Amino acid sequence: MNESTSDVDSRDRVLLQRMAAGDRAALEALYRAYHGGLSRFLSRLTRRADLIEEIVNDCFWITWRKAGSFHGDSRVSTWIMGIAYRCGLKALRQRGDEPVDDYALREGRGPSHDPDEDRELRDWLGKGLEHLSADQRIVVELVYGVGNSLDEVAAIMQAPVGTVKARLFHARIKLRNVLPTLAGDSPAQQENLS
Amino acid sequence: MTIQMNSGKACARAWEIMPWALQATAPPEQREWLMHHLAQCEACSAEFAQQSRLRCALSLPADIPVDKDRGLKHLLERLDAPEPDTAPVRLWSSGSRLTRALAAAVLLQAIGIGALGVRLWSDQAPHYRTLSQPALVEPAGALRVVPAAGMKLADWNKLLHDLGLRVVDGPNDVGAYAVVPVGPASPSASALRRLRADHDIHLAESIDSKP
Repeated sequence: MNESTSDVDSRDRVLLQRMAAGDRAALEALYRAYHGGLSRFLSRLTRRADLIEEIVNDCFWITWRKAGSFHGDSRVSTWIMGIAYRCGLKALRQRGDEPVDDYALREGRGPSHDPDEDRELRDWLGKGLEHLSADQRIVVELVYGVGNSLDEVAAIMQAPVGTVKARLFHARIKLRNVLPTLAGDSPAQQENLS
Repeated sequence: MTIQMNSGKACARAWEIMPWALQATAPPEQREWLMHHLAQCEACSAEFAQQSRLRCALSLPADIPVDKDRGLKHLLERLDAPEPDTAPVRLWSSGSRLTRALAAAVLLQAIGIGALGVRLWSDQAPHYRTLSQPALVEPAGALRVVPAAGMKLADWNKLLHDLGLRVVDGPNDVGAYAVVPVGPASPSASALRRLRADHDIHLAESIDSKP
């Protein structure tokens, strides 16, 4: 854990303590700090903005009520991500939906104000992620996007570390076989690792 | 699935280290070793470049616009709303169908058992009378008949059958029987006359008749 991660976690713990005492300003601060990351994380499960907002709010509703019972066994971010993940699965289950398996079914790829470079990167990523299962996308997001360790991902998904490791491995194999072609690399390069 | 890399175990090790080197959570000696390997291995170098690009792409903000302020406003409104009895409702709703079904089944069973018991009780009333039970009250229209001591049972049965009568009580201390018609009708006067005319019948009279 680097220094900034440690600082962030210390800040979050203080906010949780204040929330446990009923401090709404602390809730607002934590909400604003996590909203972007949670939205991106949940966008790997569903492409519906209204549902993402609902899941984020369900997550913070639970965080508000359970703030006093946080024991500090993990980082606050890991705890919140785990709650969001379970809320996401529950929300999808209640609606009879499955996590989006066809990542290409997106409501507009990227906001129009994206710089060209970002848009190109998003398209590249989107075409790669659409080849992954929802579980594989979540693992890739948590490892590469959020920066979680295998143990943390296992805690968030409530799955054995071996399962997480296998999901990451298969996701990387799929991405490696798809993304270089999209990026313009020669297929011959892919064979080196297959 | 096996990874057949150009340089075997070294490439496999590089593959394992890459995500954590990108996160900067790999130990320094592992990162140093990886950099050294990448400088020598074109395939792993390309793979690492792709992984770096993947990390950059995944670090971009969410591409679905979710309004943070509106979401926070909704959350605070939810906190201010009167707290519904979510726990009991959820308990009831999650188990309600099963609970209701079980309660209905128990109720139906109780009703069924009760109805069956009443029916059995009424159907199974004994058609006999023990000696310890009090004497039957003869129904209206019953006849008191005293057959001769030497009358054969077959003759007694035939006589009653011919007259449409059956024994409901007796014999008492003096050998008298109470007989009634098999059907609901009152015994006819002719039946009484025929009984009196039979030489094996000592006495035949209506029980209702007043002295």
